[in-house]
Amino acid sequence: MDPIAVTIALNIIYEITTLFVIVLGLAIVFGLLKVMNLAHGEFIMVGAYAAYFCQDQGWPYIMAIPFALFIAAILGYLIEFTLIRHLYRRPFDTLLVTWGLSFLLREVIELVYGKGFQSLSNPIPGSIDVLGEPYPSYRALVMVIAILSVLVLWVWYRRSLTGARVKAMVENPELARAVGIRVDNLARHTFVVGTCFGALAGVMLAPLTRVEPFMGLDYILTSFFVLVVGGVGTILGLSSGAGVIGGVQSVVSNLFGETSGYFGVLLIAILFLWLKPNGLISRS
Amino acid sequence: MGLFLGRSIILLLGLFALPTLLGDFWAYQLGLYFLYSIAALGVGICWGQAGFLPLGQAMFLGIGAYLSGFSLIHFQDSFLLLLLLPAAALIPGFIAFVIGLLVFRGHLESGPFFALITLALSLLTFQIATNWVDVTGGFNGLGGIPSLPGLEGFESLYYVVAAVLTISIGVVAWIIKAPIGVIWRGISENEKRLTFFGYDTAFLKALAFGISGVLGGVAGVLYAPHQGLVTPNLAGFILSAELLIWTAVGGRKTLFGPVIGAILVGSLTAELRDVIPIWELMVAALFIFVVLFLPDGIAGWPERLFQRVLGRRFSGDEVNLAVKIGQKSPELELASCSLSIGTVDILNQLSFRIAQPGIYCLIGPNGAGKTSTFNAITGAVKTQAGSINLDDESISGFQSHDVAMRGIGRKFQVPSILPNLTISENLRTALWGGRCSLMDLFHYTPLNWTNTINTDLKERFPFLIEENKPAKELSHGEKQVLELSMSLLGEPRLLLLDEPCAGLSSEETDKVIDTIRWIRSTFDSTILVIEHDMTLVKDIADQVIVMHQGAVLAIGGVKDIQKDSRVREVYVGVSI
Repeated sequence: MDPIAVTIALNIIYEITTLFVIVLGLAIVFGLLKVMNLAHGEFIMVGAYAAYFCQDQGWPYIMAIPFALFIAAILGYLIEFTLIRHLYRRPFDTLLVTWGLSFLLREVIELVYGKGFQSLSNPIPGSIDVLGEPYPSYRALVMVIAILSVLVLWVWYRRSLTGARVKAMVENPELARAVGIRVDNLARHTFVVGTCFGALAGVMLAPLTRVEPFMGLDYILTSFFVLVVGGVGTILGLSSGAGVIGGVQSVVSNLFGETSGYFGVLLIAILFLWLKPNGLISRS
Repeated sequence: MGLFLGRSIILLLGLFALPTLLGDFWAYQLGLYFLYSIAALGVGICWGQAGFLPLGQAMFLGIGAYLSGFSLIHFQDSFLLLLLLPAAALIPGFIAFVIGLLVFRGHLESGPFFALITLALSLLTFQIATNWVDVTGGFNGLGGIPSLPGLEGFESLYYVVAAVLTISIGVVAWIIKAPIGVIWRGISENEKRLTFFGYDTAFLKALAFGISGVLGGVAGVLYAPHQGLVTPNLAGFILSAELLIWTAVGGRKTLFGPVIGAILVGSLTAELRDVIPIWELMVAALFIFVVLFLPDGIAGWPERLFQRVLGRRFSGDEVNLAVKIGQKSPELELASCSLSIGTVDILNQLSFRIAQPGIYCLIGPNGAGKTSTFNAITGAVKTQAGSINLDDESISGFQSHDVAMRGIGRKFQVPSILPNLTISENLRTALWGGRCSLMDLFHYTPLNWTNTINTDLKERFPFLIEENKPAKELSHGEKQVLELSMSLLGEPRLLLLDEPCAGLSSEETDKVIDTIRWIRSTFDSTILVIEHDMTLVKDIADQVIVMHQGAVLAIGGVKDIQKDSRVREVYVGVSI
């Protein structure tokens, strides 16, 4: 195969899969609980800092995953219990409170680690051969883990009893409660799963990006644009959203510079608001 | 007007006295926060009044400041500044207005879409300001901006800033008390309801955003000479966030809240940020607390007290408006309208025609498509096939407010009112719909408008006289009556009532029926009523339209319908 084509293809797949991981937690919480968690980017940041902490302690990098999940789960529970659960029927207030939370989380990290950025060393240096082309091992691993975690989540959601309960909760919370589903607990767990996926994304991306308090800002915006373009509720929608946004961003940025790439994505999002307000693929 | 001027002059004198009291340096420092509070006033209009969240408001400050900076550097002492500086303040407003139109037209809700798009735009402005080094000076900013001509030294600029702040407060005070303010608050309560009164809510929200953009622009125009340096940060995320926090803490729904928040929290932050390490953490926590528990912020309570002591209700002679109802009776025709969602056919080749004034009862078993018919007529849903014509004009595909402007009014099945607005504000909103021009909305005269329907309704339903009671405190029956009254005040030629008597006591039902009859006979109007209660139908209907499975089963007088075997079959389930 043409070596350049392989590299380009791999890079595009990488772009889309990472976007997918970034948006997944937000999509779960927004799609199932109708909560637009503006602090989602900050959970990614928390995950990345957790990874930094582990590496700084000299622990093996794999330890970062349980550690970050642990922290994100505790934070998620606390936040759901104190704030979010009162706000499920008040979407506008959720928006404000999670925005305030994003601020709070950023300030906490700033207090501990300062405003400057940290860089992590690559836990798996070197490269592997993909179709005869060398490709950085860690990136390849990130892609594999991303695709695997989505598949596992998807199969679990479709097949498991809990998945069915979640679907019941989304369709009709009152009825679900009436047939004995503990909707409050279920919603809390769903929220926590969302924050954990955010932190997982943070761990995965930390060695590949600049880890700094404001890193979440870009993530929440891109995730949101993916949701706008792809539509909420289906894996296929999220993939196509990630494809469009990732594609536009990388192509336009490469051709005309970063600012234009940014502008292009914004334009696409506004265009979608007009032409396909439910995204490319919506559930209904 | 006099009251406004009086208060503004007192405020201005107070601000002018500050340099003498605090010393020039402090006054200069405060001047910066005066500028921020002008921008915060804009956030207050968007968030506190119209109910949408601008997450990137600093971009307008930034754009205004860069434009003002260029003008001052390149046209120093030129009379062109008289043109350029106002333009520099208005351009951000224009940009905001266009953004608002683009986003709100695409998506009526005030949810995350608008908020995140404004956030993205402010980051984009930041990036452009940082990367376009030749023009903006890049990250280090645009420096060496001279002061305003004739105002050398920073002390004199303070007075300009104080004066502009006073004017801004005065203008915003005027606007939020004018009809447009009531409408904005109505939009934040129940936007959909307002579209059915004929308000183009997307436009009105864009207008609010545009005005907030001008306020940001004004602040930016003065910021450039005040600080002498404009950096990308002025347009970026942090200041946008701070503007929001200041507005929230001060009190987003109040007039002075954003100003107090910006001056108090802003200057305290500047002083304490380095002294107390967890200061910003505390501010973030305070923000969450205020959002959840104190929507009026710290200015709420004092401002209400102040209004009780000094406030004067706007009073003037009532202006009785001519009633326009019954000028021309509508001809409504639905031709083969079809609507399906998924595999379910909601409307199936629905056709009927109404050409004579009268009361038409729309009946049919549950799921027959009655409410969907109303939705289709009023533009709340788009039919996939067929056409809807009103007086030879096709209105299919029209937006709800366009339909309402053509004289179609609607009352919903579940009472749809503006819960946190007072009864009189609810009624006025309905009265103004379709009557107020854009200019009227900024005048106080519509506050005194009334008409004979209004007077008569208040006699029939005395609770409507309790003007200052919030509508949410009404009982269910009263809410039904309030919404009915609202839909009558719009004086529609064609009135669509969706189960107006649902949940009413028999006494209330009698009164409502009597009112509907009165409207029918006095104004010779056309009324289409969805009703389940057959006794009522017999009582009021001139014609009955029976719907079944998304299509018309039978049309005719009550007697004919009662005899119709197909109707009996649908209702009783057996063929007789």
